[in-house]
Amino acid sequence: MNLGATLRRGLLVGIVALFLFLLGLPTLVGNVVMGWFNFASAAPGAWLLLCVLALWTGAAAVRQTTQPSWGQVLLNGLLAGLLPGLIVGIYVFTTGSLIAADAAVREWLVQVTPEAVGLFTVGLAPLAAAALIAGVLTAAGLVGGVLAALSVRYQWGAFLRRRWQAGREAIITQPVVQKSVRFPYTRYILYGLGAVLLLIAPLFLGQYWTYTLGLVGIYIILGVGLNVVVGLAGLLDLGYVAFFAIGAYTVALLTAPTPHGIMMSFWLALPIGVVLAAMAGVLLGIPVLRMRGDYLAIVTLGFGEIIRILSKSDVLTSFTGGPRGVRSVASPVLFGFDLSDYFYHLILVAIVLVVFLSHRLQNSRVGRAWMAMRDDEDVARAMGIHVLKYKLLAFAIGASFAGLGGVLFASRNLFTGPEDHALLVSINVLCLVIVGGMGSIPGVVMGSLVLKGLPELLRELSDYRMLAFGTLLVLMMILRPEGLWPSKRRRMELHEEDEQMAKPATGDSP
Amino acid sequence: MKTLRRMSVAILIVTLAAMVLACGAQPYECTDEWGCAVFEAGETIKLAYVGPMTGDYSAFGVDISRGVELAVKDHGTVQGFNIEIIVEDTQGASEQGAAVANKLSADSRVVAVVGHTFSGSTEVSIPIYDKSGVVMMSPSATNPSLTGLGSSVFNRVAFTDEMQGQAAAQYIYETLGARQIVVMHDGGAYGQGLAGVCADAFEGLGGTVLGTEAVTPGEADYSAPLAAVAALDPDLVYFGGYDADAAVLVSQMAGAGLQEAMFFGCDGTYGANYLNLAGSSAEGTFSTYVPIPESEAFSKFRTDYQADYGQEQGELSPFSPHGYDSAALLLNALDKVAVKSGDQLIIPRKALADAVRATADYSGLTGNISCTAVGECAAASIKFMQVQGGEWTEGPGQ
Amino acid sequence: MVDLKKILPKRFFSRGNWVQPVLAVVFSAFLLWRLYRILFVEQIYGPDTWVKFAISGLILGSVYAVIALGYTLVYGILFMINFAHGEVMMLGAYTGYFTLEAFRGAGMLDWNWAGPIVEGIAAGLGASPDAATEAGAIASLVLVVLIAFVLGMLVSMLTAIGLERIAYRPLRQAPRLVPLISAIGASLFLQNAAQLMFGATPRVYNNPTLLNRDAGWTLLVGGEWVEYAGVTVWEGKPVLITYTGVITFVMSILLMVLLLILVQRTKMGKAMRAVAEDKQTAALMGIDIDRVIGNTFAVSGLLAGAAGVLWGLHMGRLNPIVGFLPGLKAFTAAVLGGIGNVAGAMMGGITLGVLEALGPGLLGMPFQLKDVLAFSILVLVLIFRPQGILGEVLSEKKM
Repeated sequence: MNLGATLRRGLLVGIVALFLFLLGLPTLVGNVVMGWFNFASAAPGAWLLLCVLALWTGAAAVRQTTQPSWGQVLLNGLLAGLLPGLIVGIYVFTTGSLIAADAAVREWLVQVTPEAVGLFTVGLAPLAAAALIAGVLTAAGLVGGVLAALSVRYQWGAFLRRRWQAGREAIITQPVVQKSVRFPYTRYILYGLGAVLLLIAPLFLGQYWTYTLGLVGIYIILGVGLNVVVGLAGLLDLGYVAFFAIGAYTVALLTAPTPHGIMMSFWLALPIGVVLAAMAGVLLGIPVLRMRGDYLAIVTLGFGEIIRILSKSDVLTSFTGGPRGVRSVASPVLFGFDLSDYFYHLILVAIVLVVFLSHRLQNSRVGRAWMAMRDDEDVARAMGIHVLKYKLLAFAIGASFAGLGGVLFASRNLFTGPEDHALLVSINVLCLVIVGGMGSIPGVVMGSLVLKGLPELLRELSDYRMLAFGTLLVLMMILRPEGLWPSKRRRMELHEEDEQMAKPATGDSP
Repeated sequence: MKTLRRMSVAILIVTLAAMVLACGAQPYECTDEWGCAVFEAGETIKLAYVGPMTGDYSAFGVDISRGVELAVKDHGTVQGFNIEIIVEDTQGASEQGAAVANKLSADSRVVAVVGHTFSGSTEVSIPIYDKSGVVMMSPSATNPSLTGLGSSVFNRVAFTDEMQGQAAAQYIYETLGARQIVVMHDGGAYGQGLAGVCADAFEGLGGTVLGTEAVTPGEADYSAPLAAVAALDPDLVYFGGYDADAAVLVSQMAGAGLQEAMFFGCDGTYGANYLNLAGSSAEGTFSTYVPIPESEAFSKFRTDYQADYGQEQGELSPFSPHGYDSAALLLNALDKVAVKSGDQLIIPRKALADAVRATADYSGLTGNISCTAVGECAAASIKFMQVQGGEWTEGPGQ
Repeated sequence: MVDLKKILPKRFFSRGNWVQPVLAVVFSAFLLWRLYRILFVEQIYGPDTWVKFAISGLILGSVYAVIALGYTLVYGILFMINFAHGEVMMLGAYTGYFTLEAFRGAGMLDWNWAGPIVEGIAAGLGASPDAATEAGAIASLVLVVLIAFVLGMLVSMLTAIGLERIAYRPLRQAPRLVPLISAIGASLFLQNAAQLMFGATPRVYNNPTLLNRDAGWTLLVGGEWVEYAGVTVWEGKPVLITYTGVITFVMSILLMVLLLILVQRTKMGKAMRAVAEDKQTAALMGIDIDRVIGNTFAVSGLLAGAAGVLWGLHMGRLNPIVGFLPGLKAFTAAVLGGIGNVAGAMMGGITLGVLEALGPGLLGMPFQLKDVLAFSILVLVLIFRPQGILGEVLSEKKM
């Protein structure tokens, strides 16, 4: 039994736990749990978080050997829980004493507030509290080890898997299900139902959720556009927000009373915005096409920032409205009928348009050319694909989608300003394309729902949103770089070796 | 497997349907021009506060939100219905202001907004709230043009920069004796507006404005623009902007060659945050302060503030009493127009906005408040403060 | 579909055709004309202001250079832009801040522990007591600042090593896009972790009194004849050269020299160069690739930490996003000098800093737009001369 590995893992978990404390996560989890179960304090949730960590450490320690003896289980479980327990105990003791001595720890480490520390000292003296939590975590480690040993001995994993399979089989073999699967029009019925639901959703969801879904929709449009550039053509564009800005500023400057007073109608300004964005895409594309991937990323980032700073600057204020932005952007008015309440539906129409175009392109010659270029540019060129042309096309189409999104965004917000077009938007869109699945449209929709919709549901977590983004990006790249709902091709590309190794072992593939 | 895919899609759609049908309250018909907010028994009335809660300018947002919290606590319920404070963060940016305004407008339970805090963010939100009929009372947005936009929902208890800029110009010319100044600002609605007013007023008095320099807020190094200003050799530098940037400016002024020049800030540069950030470089610099008349209510406010938040009132920013008054005024108007119908509480929006505009002779922390027809409800006067011995003290000659 | 080949001339942007030299000549002519106008005709700024600009540019540039060294090392070995490098610098800056705050809290910031010792030595040598006190104060100061540096560099080094282990090592075989995105994710993570841990409100370095940001040597530059009570005197205008500025500049040069020695003369450096040249052959030669890459990140972390503390001491203002913009500009500097090239990174850094400080003045641009200048330089360099001024030093097999 590798005690050294257990100790090391325990140490690592202890440090991670410390880090979680400094980030204020136990308080957060405690508050969330308190809200769900209507507890009186946040302590249960906070302790639960730490216990789960210790549990996992214990389980992992025991699982190193296939048939552990109870003695080994006991020893490893205890040790696995002991180290995190000690580390957390020392932390609780230190912070508890400091808070008791009225030291201004808050000024240094913002999350170490009296309330947060109080969750763990639970009214005891610091030393007693430290001993308590150390003990609890050690016990949790032991419990984790025991659970792991039991699960191995009684084959819980295999058992659960069999039950899951049996359940699936039971449902699938139902005659209703079998018939509906074989019925050729099931798919269309389901899609139709979904479409109807989406259309009537505003009636039931209320204005607030409709507004949020609208934002999700705009990001879907942006995501589909970036998907064309990054996912299909393989060009990492970190300045994507520049095209978004061009669409937004076009409609704003053309339709608002200040600074120019042109007062064009929304419907006239919309195609102008889209076309200008597309032109910008081509203009940006020409000089940067010959660069290698990471340089392309940085150059586009530079362009995006240049546009933002210029729009914010004093010198160009008479043209762009400066740091104060452009107010009172026009809403879409159709035959005198103000459509601003129906923005949600407008966005839906735009999504359908954009998805349709993207889907057709993907399965056309252009799409295949893009994929060939993404895989290996030199080979593609050797096969006679005009790389320059297709890259420019990808940029232009991606940019025009972003322009469309920008026009809708500015008009819906009745305002746009330079900080609306910060690098963060590009990174957000990139995140949702990557997390959803590069090159896959359902993936983009899913990514947008998860990354833009979920934070609205979990308002308490808003402070941690960007932290979660960052963690998610790194984790996804390590564990599942093809995304949550990848196109089959992409998954094959990224897991080629795994597939080849897995083939002889398993019988059939899904 | 195709079956599995189809089944998952089906499950997804059913879930979506369930979500859709489970949520949502139906809108209610009512006679008010802008519609009514209807609250069932047990629901809370939402009062929103919008300001910079995080980022460089968080001192303002945190401070004013505390004023709002104390006001709501002191007021209690409206006809038995609890008030819930929704705090939204703009980080001081206009764009966030617009996003927050749209978000709050879409929530039918939000009846009034204390905000926004910064002029730039307020400016962009006014048309949005106008459209949705949510009444505003800003504690600190001082840009003069805000009440000139023809809005029926915007009101403020803060003084205007018209007043501040002119008073500052007068003080600089007459009391401090400066004749040549350079005006700096951070490009925002507030800073640029105020700097412009001050510059015009100063020239009107006979002084010379050698130049105007804009800086980008949020940067760490202003030595280059300061060197350019130093080349003009002014007696005094007037800055329109916020404390975080003012602190950097004063720290780097000496190094750029402006040791002789005085630094004059504004209400945005006052506070303990400025003193912390600028350290010893803040010595001798000026800023604007809003003195609150002594009263029993104000002493109680100070005690409550200290007890609840562990900090002295006025340390973070001068505007917490304004936050208190804004919230109190809104709640006062709510009391007047809220109608109980059975178990429900109905709040007609236009009536509420009108009631707020019609406030007269209200005794608030900042003084005796009456709102004009365009929404100016300011009662307070201005005083100029100077940093002496590391503390804010009253400036000479007042 | 329009056939672009027929519109644009062949090899429009490739090196060695006529377009680039012509553009370069036109651009230089324009610059010279602007320079002439600003310096001699309009004369907005006196010579003292120009010297001020140049000095602030040199100091800023030296910080960029140190950060750029880190970027260039990592890119040379892994062909990867370490997006999180700016955040590594930020963490070093925060560590330095907390160290100084700890000293300040304990009242030891201006503690003159070396005073008695130096005075004793001075008395023995017969030197003047004033000089002794001053020397003692400086010696004490050096210790405090040194400790801040060491801790800052240590924390940054650990962060960089952790970064490599967690976010980059598992992705070494993946297509290029994947580690880049992982780097972006790591950068977001570190920025927001710092914001959550330390708070988003900006903090200011409280330097020891001797190192106050206002303190320094005064240089008299330019000047004019001034009359004082009947006597005309040539009075120069004062230009302040802060102590912190000098320290920043000197330390940056020192760090570069140390790095050059490391890379050229030590065994570890040789291993780094070998891995940068050809990873597979180096592995065949028995070099532990993982360890070398880890070492590279460690060194880049040390440099970033030093840059962070220098930034804090000199600029003063600190917040969780302080690393982002300098990081980006430092990458520009690395590319400007030639990526993979240590001397190039140094040169690129200083050049960029000076251009950024002098540029707006020389071109008559408002100072607000100096970032636009930096980014434009990035864009132009990458389009027209991606190998940089001193040329790239990368392996032939560009992975």
